[in-house]
Amino acid sequence: MKELFPAKQVNGFVFSLVLTVIAISVYFVDMSYEIGLTILLVTAFIQAGVQLIIFMHAGESKDKGSIYTSLFYAIFIALVTIFGSLLAMVWGYM
Amino acid sequence: MKIDNTQPLEYSTDQNQMNILGFWIFLGAEIMLFATLFATYFIYADRTGSGPTGSDIFEITPVLIETFLLLTSSFTIGLAINAMRLGRKNATLTFLAITLLLGAGFIGFEIFEFVHYYHVGAGLQTSAFTGMLLTTLGTHGAHVTFGFFWGLFILIQIKRDGFNPRTANKSFIFSLYWHFLDVMWIFIFSFIYLKGMM
Amino acid sequence: MEFFERFAVPHPSPLIYASMVAIGLTVLAIIFGITYFKKWGYLWKEWLTTVDHKRIGIMYMISALLMLFRGGADAVMMRLQTSVPDNTFLEAQHYNEVFTTHGVVMIIFMAMAFIIGLMNFVVPLQIGARDVAFPRLNALSFWLYFAGAMLFNISFVIGGSPDAGWTNYYPLASNDFSTSVGVNYYNWALQISGLGTLMTGINFIVTIIKMRAPGMKLMKMPMFTWSALITNAIIVFAFPVLTIALIMGTLDRQFGTSLFTSTSGGMDMQWANLFWIWGHPEVYILILPAFGVYSQIISTFSGRNLYGYKSMVGSMVIISLMSFLVWAHHFFTMGHDAFTNSIFSITTMAIAVPTGIKIFNWLLTMWKGKIRFTVPMLYSVAFIPLFTIGGVTGVMLGVASADFQYHNTMFLVAHFHNVIIPGVVFAMLAGMTYWWPKMFGFMLNEKIGKWAFWFVSIGFCFSFFPMYITGLDGQARRMYTYSESTGFGPLNMLSFFGAGVMAIGFIIIVYNVLYSIKNSPRNIGDDPWDARSLEWATQTPVQEYNFAITPEVESSDAYWDHKKKGYQLFKGNIEKIHMPNNSGLPIIMAGIMLVFAFSFVFYIWAGVIVAAIAFLACLIYRSFEKDDGHYIPVSEIKETENKNGGAN
Repeated sequence: MKELFPAKQVNGFVFSLVLTVIAISVYFVDMSYEIGLTILLVTAFIQAGVQLIIFMHAGESKDKGSIYTSLFYAIFIALVTIFGSLLAMVWGYM
Repeated sequence: MKIDNTQPLEYSTDQNQMNILGFWIFLGAEIMLFATLFATYFIYADRTGSGPTGSDIFEITPVLIETFLLLTSSFTIGLAINAMRLGRKNATLTFLAITLLLGAGFIGFEIFEFVHYYHVGAGLQTSAFTGMLLTTLGTHGAHVTFGFFWGLFILIQIKRDGFNPRTANKSFIFSLYWHFLDVMWIFIFSFIYLKGMM
Repeated sequence: MEFFERFAVPHPSPLIYASMVAIGLTVLAIIFGITYFKKWGYLWKEWLTTVDHKRIGIMYMISALLMLFRGGADAVMMRLQTSVPDNTFLEAQHYNEVFTTHGVVMIIFMAMAFIIGLMNFVVPLQIGARDVAFPRLNALSFWLYFAGAMLFNISFVIGGSPDAGWTNYYPLASNDFSTSVGVNYYNWALQISGLGTLMTGINFIVTIIKMRAPGMKLMKMPMFTWSALITNAIIVFAFPVLTIALIMGTLDRQFGTSLFTSTSGGMDMQWANLFWIWGHPEVYILILPAFGVYSQIISTFSGRNLYGYKSMVGSMVIISLMSFLVWAHHFFTMGHDAFTNSIFSITTMAIAVPTGIKIFNWLLTMWKGKIRFTVPMLYSVAFIPLFTIGGVTGVMLGVASADFQYHNTMFLVAHFHNVIIPGVVFAMLAGMTYWWPKMFGFMLNEKIGKWAFWFVSIGFCFSFFPMYITGLDGQARRMYTYSESTGFGPLNMLSFFGAGVMAIGFIIIVYNVLYSIKNSPRNIGDDPWDARSLEWATQTPVQEYNFAITPEVESSDAYWDHKKKGYQLFKGNIEKIHMPNNSGLPIIMAGIMLVFAFSFVFYIWAGVIVAAIAFLACLIYRSFEKDDGHYIPVSEIKETENKNGGAN
């Protein structure tokens, strides 16, 4: 039975629950918008990393170079798209 | 079809390895798909016209339940793959079934949530904000629904054929998809719901 | 009857009725011809269900050429309409439809299809592979593209064409200003073919990463393969943006949302934002494979290896990242603050640097080379100065403050035709001529080809250079006519003359194909151009399995080293070869998708639901299908090889 619940995955699950609870604190605890947003950014990206590495085994095969390249490329362009759009349509739009 | 027995079943043929790499690249495309939705949602978040704002309509309880369901299903699909690598067919089927049930629960709560939005006057046509909110959530929900049926067919195939390079490969790729939907939900949960309710 | 009224064209004219008759007769003629010659079985078995990358590539290119003539006819009509002031050949609405379909057809259904067709045919051969990574998916990609192209083209005779420009800006594309179903067609045709393109992107990345011949390290890949890899990476990350933009457009037009409206908080310019986040990378998706084609051709016909291989690769990688950083230069005049416009202005100018590096590399490849002025080489040599002019005017447009002057004028039209025609179209014509013998086993006539080249390139100069001047003089783009007092008349007439010369050039190309089918010698050997890369090490015509023995490679000019340095490409013995099975599923799924989209365009919900269920049934069938392909036995390979003179 024990082999069906490997420690790595159980710990990963517990860790992601903890991160979720920390994220929810921005709703229940009174704090400034900046601090809240920082907490959300940090917990969300750590959670995504936990999923990718522990649950999705992104680095286990010999194609990990290609996999990480395409992921980082996608994340880079995704961030450019999000912040560039905000710049073009909100922050820099008179 | 050369089978390499030193690798786990899902990596054991050249075609299997290409399938997995191809799916990772597809996930890269999915990241961009959701990034586009997020970018547009953030631009529209305050453009509520005469309709309600996010903090008017968001409710923490269903959102927390949905998050818990999806997070747990992401854990159980990971356990299913672990069991598959151990060659434990029944355990794999059980974990896969639990995953799909949790997914179905998620879809159920999301439908409930959409009905709630409709009742408080936040329909697709109400404002740019509500339209984009429902488009973003709907895209994610459609992915989960698609995944539910995909997983169901894989479950049937494992039950029928047992583990072979084909079914193992499909299950592994399905697990990647399911984890990815959880990752996207984390961002929806953090930057649509919690940020909106802050 | 009421049901059928929706299919009527909202602005009929004799021209449209004539094309209805022409389309009807052509379809009948094709069906009759195939039946008469009893070719249905052959067509189905050998082409419609094929998963062979070479045949899919050829089908892409045939479709692209058809679309070239459709889009070209639009172009000539526009030039004719504007050739004299106050012309009444086309009315305003009809002119709007013509420039819209011209843009969409040329970019999405012509240029994209042509580059993907070339990639399909060439890339697996260049890397020594037997097929692409996912042959079945490849067939689906093609048929989805084809379904999209057909859907877009029937808009002309059923229900009305889109009329909001190929950029389809809102509010112009909204129900208020575009009242026919045209923009619905636009949304769905691009959606379907975009899906196909995304699959192609994934397919080719995996093919190039995983299926290279032994010894072919990444930095030993031929340059066209490199350009294909980078292009497909851009495709994978750019096309999802278009998918979302089109979904939002569909929601606005067909479900009454206000995402792109100016009421209820909507933002029409967000369409422009999303469109160009996809659209700017899209222009690099078109131009990078063209760069790859030129690299192969210039190196072959200069008799030298490519100068600056590493800088060529590096500049493409930089272009691929930077292509995602410049998009807002398409709407500098929207009302950004100076800071925002400066950022996008600087990135725009910076992207000219890696492009410039490539120009110098081509020049240095030719320097001291023994240049053979064949038809492909003529296109490549003409490309360099003409493209540079287009690039320089692009930098002019990239200066945000100056762009307020050029914006929305014919100057812009001249600029992007100046990069796309010498860049992409010349490359496609050059690449088609260059790889033609490998595809069909005979060469296109060189003499007629050179005539065509001169007509196309001189015609190009006459059509587009006058637009720079009229643009600076203030002629707005997309205006269906102008008054005589503006003085634009003579230069527009010159443009029309140039368009006519170009059209003659393309007709000469068609004549050349027909002439060469009849007259060209068939005994041309496997390597008629004395070329350098691996695709020329196959037999002509290429066998189903490409290479009887998987080649082993030591350099990027592997075949050249084989010929000149005696390097052995094919070591080992012939073994049985694993090949994928043909399948009818891709064409059926694309057909279902066509029905789905057509029903959606016209709000026929019953059709939408039936088609959606049928499509899901295909997916389920595919999920449960067991298809491991088949093996070609050694005896059969040996027989084929001996019949054709043998690979060794």
